[in-house]
Amino acid sequence: MSEELRVSPIETRGVAGKRRFAMVVDTRRCIGCMACQVACKAEYDTPLGVNRTWVPYKVVGKYPNVKKQFLPRLCNHCDDAPCVRNCPVEATFKVEDGGFILQRYERCIGCRSCMAACPYNARFMLPSHRTYTPITNVVDKCTFCFHRVTQNLVPACVQTCIGRSRVFGDINDPNSEVSWLVATNATQVLRPEEGTKPHVFYIGADRNATEFGRDAYRQPEVMELDRSAFKRNFKI
Amino acid sequence: MGDYVWFHDVSWHASYAVYFFVIGILAGLSFMSYGSWITPGLRPLREKAAYGSIGLLALGGLLLIADLSQPMRFLNILNPGYLNFSSPLAWGALNIVAFGICSVLYILALKKGDEARGKLLALVTAVLALGLPVYTGFDLTVHQSRPVWNSPIIPVLFVAMAIASGSAVGSLMAMGNDEAQKVLRQYMLWSAGAVSVMLVSVMGTTNYGGSAQELTFMIMTTGTMGLLFVGVGFLAGSVAPAVLLFAPMGKSQLVLMASALLILVGGAALRYVLLMAPQQLQTLY
Repeated sequence: MSEELRVSPIETRGVAGKRRFAMVVDTRRCIGCMACQVACKAEYDTPLGVNRTWVPYKVVGKYPNVKKQFLPRLCNHCDDAPCVRNCPVEATFKVEDGGFILQRYERCIGCRSCMAACPYNARFMLPSHRTYTPITNVVDKCTFCFHRVTQNLVPACVQTCIGRSRVFGDINDPNSEVSWLVATNATQVLRPEEGTKPHVFYIGADRNATEFGRDAYRQPEVMELDRSAFKRNFKI
Repeated sequence: MGDYVWFHDVSWHASYAVYFFVIGILAGLSFMSYGSWITPGLRPLREKAAYGSIGLLALGGLLLIADLSQPMRFLNILNPGYLNFSSPLAWGALNIVAFGICSVLYILALKKGDEARGKLLALVTAVLALGLPVYTGFDLTVHQSRPVWNSPIIPVLFVAMAIASGSAVGSLMAMGNDEAQKVLRQYMLWSAGAVSVMLVSVMGTTNYGGSAQELTFMIMTTGTMGLLFVGVGFLAGSVAPAVLLFAPMGKSQLVLMASALLILVGGAALRYVLLMAPQQLQTLY
């Protein structure tokens, strides 16, 4: 991004000497195996009912010409993240070198302001009971596997992606694979109109699938029935 | 439709709407208490409104703390090392604390009968009270991805609703006092009118917005939400009291009481819908 387009001082994309990690999701290669979701669950012991990454799908076309469109979702590690702006106690912060948006669990008061601010629903509240970790009742989200990336590993979801749909790297490095993919393919980000400058780029995503689905046009009462059915088995 | 919709939870639940309602009433009562120093008709309300205001502050504060998923960490928000001034919540926390301190000092001055200090503290308390609906409005306004919330009119609407709710409670407190009712009728009439106009504006801009706005308009105007927003909040809680109070019979005690009750019920419904409805759509994204 050119200097002129950078409007917020916290943005690090295109800043010399700083890394800016990004993910490219090639939806043409995604087979919907959900291995990324499972790898993420295994990596973080994310409880039932909440996910750091998830893969919603949409069935498009008309029988017999139908297909499933997958849209893997995760925190977009925005360059101008609204969650960082909105956290009253700076529990959410941006790592300048790398652009990771991370969470200080010990500082989070659980006001859920960051959840309200996120246009991508990437944040969730951890339940009060967990098996292996005492981190409970605070907001959690994808970290771009900060702990792995700092050890020169790729995130768990990228490592496990069987179709190489997910590619991770430093977008400020012109020789990285993500730079090449973004430079040579038509990409789109989710909800660009929000001005968050997300750092998850999608190749081959259908704009119709990245907007609110037709289901959103149903009566709120019907949606509520679906929602309660969906959540019925996730009472923690 | 064959879509695999992933349902997310709303961020803020109904307890936050109750908090908005309580904070609106207490801010309105604080205005009434300060108003009593300027308008003699409101004199009987001075102490009652001040006590009511601080009582509701205690209730609202407890609600706010209880709503946190880490209630014992509420002190973090007052830690200067942690405060993030780009968040309206941080300003709100400071505003609430400053309002609480000033309210206590004001009540002490009232107990001592210190008129000069009392008037000054009433003014400071009222200015800080103005910050309460303004900050709660900004709490919503700053979320750029939420239809309805992300509108500059929301803090102004919350101030108008605070005046309406505060004067409605004041009217119930000053039952039988004609002088006070005369002034409170004016407050209720014009604030309910202002709320009605702003709600029309909110509905209009939401209906003519993009897809998210259009869907949110549908959520706000149909089903249970529609009954609460259009029926209880707009028609019964804002338009009806404004019309009743404006009509020739609007000065009768019965109409005043009925209008006050309608404003309170409508104010509660409006705050609930304004908080919850714009979150419904986002849960589907």
